[in-house]
Amino acid sequence: MEPSPNGSTNFPAKSRLTMQHALELSHVHFTYRSWKEEVCDSLFSDLSLDVQEGSKTLLLAPFNKGKTTLAKIICGVCPKYFPGMLQGNIGLFGRDLSTLEPWDLLGLCSYVSQNPQEQFIAASVEEELAFPLESMGLAREEMVRRITAALKLWGLQDLRTSSQQELSGGERKRVLLAVQEVLQARLWILDEAFDDLDQQWRDLLRETIRTSDKTILVLASRYLEEFTDLFDHVVLLDQKTIHTPALDDLLPRFSRLCGDDQPNPLEEQVLEIAEKHRLSCTNLQAERKRQSTLLGQSFSLHIPDFHLQSGELVTLVGPNGSGKSSFSRLLCGLDEPIGGSITIDGQALSGKELSRKVGYLFQNPDLQIFLPTVEEELSWSLNRRKDLRAEKVKSRVAECAELFGLTLSDTPSTMSYPQRKALQAAVYFLLDRPFYILDELDSSLTYHSALSIIARLRQRGAGLLVITHDRHFASRITQRGYSIVDGRMESL
Amino acid sequence: MTTSTFVAGKGWLYRFDPRAKILLMLLLCVWFFLPVHLVGLYCVVALVMFVGALNTGFSHVSKTFRSILPMLLFMVLFMPFNVRTGRPLFTLCTLTIVTEEGLLQAARLAGRFIGISYVCTLLFATTIMNEVMLALRWYRLPYKAGLVVTLAFTYIPFISDSFNQIAESHRLREADREQGRKFLQRLRDLVPTLTSALVVALRSIPNLAMSLEMRGLGLQNKRSQYHNLASYRHPFTHFLLSVIIPLVLWLLCKA
Amino acid sequence: MQQNRNALKVAVVAVLTAVVVVFTMVVRIPTAKGYLNLCDVAICFIAFTFGPWSAFIAAGLGTALADLISGYAQWAPISFVVHGLEGLLIALIVRQKNDKEAPMIRKLLAGLVCIATVSLGYFGLSSLFISTVSVAAAEIPGNIAQSAVGFVLGLGVSGAVKRAYPPVRSLAW
Repeated sequence: MEPSPNGSTNFPAKSRLTMQHALELSHVHFTYRSWKEEVCDSLFSDLSLDVQEGSKTLLLAPFNKGKTTLAKIICGVCPKYFPGMLQGNIGLFGRDLSTLEPWDLLGLCSYVSQNPQEQFIAASVEEELAFPLESMGLAREEMVRRITAALKLWGLQDLRTSSQQELSGGERKRVLLAVQEVLQARLWILDEAFDDLDQQWRDLLRETIRTSDKTILVLASRYLEEFTDLFDHVVLLDQKTIHTPALDDLLPRFSRLCGDDQPNPLEEQVLEIAEKHRLSCTNLQAERKRQSTLLGQSFSLHIPDFHLQSGELVTLVGPNGSGKSSFSRLLCGLDEPIGGSITIDGQALSGKELSRKVGYLFQNPDLQIFLPTVEEELSWSLNRRKDLRAEKVKSRVAECAELFGLTLSDTPSTMSYPQRKALQAAVYFLLDRPFYILDELDSSLTYHSALSIIARLRQRGAGLLVITHDRHFASRITQRGYSIVDGRMESL
Repeated sequence: MTTSTFVAGKGWLYRFDPRAKILLMLLLCVWFFLPVHLVGLYCVVALVMFVGALNTGFSHVSKTFRSILPMLLFMVLFMPFNVRTGRPLFTLCTLTIVTEEGLLQAARLAGRFIGISYVCTLLFATTIMNEVMLALRWYRLPYKAGLVVTLAFTYIPFISDSFNQIAESHRLREADREQGRKFLQRLRDLVPTLTSALVVALRSIPNLAMSLEMRGLGLQNKRSQYHNLASYRHPFTHFLLSVIIPLVLWLLCKA
Repeated sequence: MQQNRNALKVAVVAVLTAVVVVFTMVVRIPTAKGYLNLCDVAICFIAFTFGPWSAFIAAGLGTALADLISGYAQWAPISFVVHGLEGLLIALIVRQKNDKEAPMIRKLLAGLVCIATVSLGYFGLSSLFISTVSVAAAEIPGNIAQSAVGFVLGLGVSGAVKRAYPPVRSLAW
């Protein structure tokens, strides 16, 4: 049976009566293909999961435990595009997944990725919504009707001709949710769907899930307050398989898995501060041109007063697009301010000098990893220093890899995200800068691993600025904080 | 980085059917290679530039001119010396420097170069990329070929952004006790940056393939179209004009 | 289920085309006279890693789009032919049946062919259609230098990418 052109709209009434299984995973094993000599450890082993049609399920899994891979397996694109060994049976609305191609699932199952960037395929928002409908061969009037309604629902009317490059993270998520809306598939898989959304849209998403007559599977690595009373079932992915304890047992177990009960590595940390420095900005101003959708408007940043000392841990909290990264770029000398100055120990520094003093760890570690192995990566900048001998470099690199839990012969591009994040931090640790900026460190790491990275970087007394949009995370570490809204910074 | 060649405007070129406009562009390019009067050639060049200015504004016309200027100067300076036969206009001792034939030929080539440049630029300045693709599909360009071009356009800003960020982060990572570097060293330093940019680009390939299939690429049924060229009401008239304009110009300027 | 990988072909060619555009337009090394662009690095990398068809389409289309975007639409067809051919020829020369590296002598040959295609291709086509023999001839040295640097860097980069991102092998078609 091919999916009918108008999607799933004919089915639900009939299948509701029989309470069909929307999704049936039984005894699934999966192992990613290894690119080295040794075989990879398996990701799932004997994993089974039943989702009833029309039910709403929350699947909790700590970061990097295969939540996204599971979604991709259900959508039929893994191992097709992400090579590995898959065993077991997967049924989708009574049909065997192994007989279906990903495009056959268009009306059956739709997926919102954790990282919206990777799902964009069209040149504008409108066309993004139109693409799957064109594939189905819908009539133009029907497409226009569905697209207009979805754009209105998710508040995207003004952005219909914008390209994805012009959208913020939250807007991209909304576009993908609007795609779900036009598709009306029978099973929705939402991977970290609440991330990046501002409160207004979180409320709308919660309402959409609550009132929907579709089967909904939400995957998450943090338990958010929005989740309360929203789901029929909450399940846990742990030790390569699915567990279904009662909610009262499940939540404490989940937080243990995330390392929330482990002692905060920042508490009682004794710093080794060799020399004290003070970074400060007064009346700093910068301007940035916005992109074409808001032609003519420019974004201005104003920082009345900001300072950071050796050994200090300071947070900067603000919503998307408020100027957090613009400020970071000024601070590490990538951009020049149009007014005010940045001084270290009372001395005004040029951009180039600043980049030698302030280390900036981007949110995406892949943009800061260059070389084929961990060892080459770590020794790159040390090798370029004339004052260090080869043995010295080797021992320092080995020591640092040990500290951050890295294997010297690994290939960064095939390492897990937390490990790549650790490698990025290790590179800067070796550079030994007096100040560091950590951009959205907590976005795909458990609080515990994020805190451990912070603890290591400040061990030798560096001053740290931690940027986040998660107030909960900020409250765990902060000694002192700043907030930024629409380019205005204030001390908290 | 911006990938748009479109210049917003309301002139008649904007309302001209893109399918006919492509034909007009091709015929005009051919026209510039036909044996025509030199005066006629320059009149047509002036006409094209004038029409361009009416539609896209003078600033765009002068910007285009500035972009072809270096090449043009190069041609004008080199060309006359190349043709040695014919009536000498300027001689130094016994050496003929410039001949009349040389000068005339240089003028013809320069005119042709300006003309072709403007015709091509105008097409892409007055038609949005989407409609160029729709028009090409009307000319039987396979769907997948069009899709590749559209996807490439959407990936250009992503890749160039990552490249710039990678280059910046590379700069930020330099150790502080480094001496000034030579050209060769700089070239060698480029390898890790380029590699890293390529890895970021390559990693997006499986995701793109995945997303295309999740959005139904591969289904056997006929795709419908959300955008079409139906808003251009007079394709026949425009096609007729596209043939008549070059033909009339040819009859007027025939050598 | 592994058979039908049309979407992968589309994705590979599209992303590689975008890579060629970016290397042509964004990456510019200042030299004594003007700029050196790196499209040949990308083209050599693609030819070495992805085979003749991807190389032909991505190289040709990429350089043509770069010309179009920077406002030199008149050069686009010439770039398409010259660079497309460059990619195709290099890939055909270094193509190997098994997973092994191509022997040095073939790489050298590929390098020479690369330089020859670019310099002679631009010379021939632009003297025919756009400028003239003398003007086109004056551009030969610049083109030789650029494609030679491009080829050498391209060799280095392809080796590094294969080590840095082993799954690249599963993408070639």
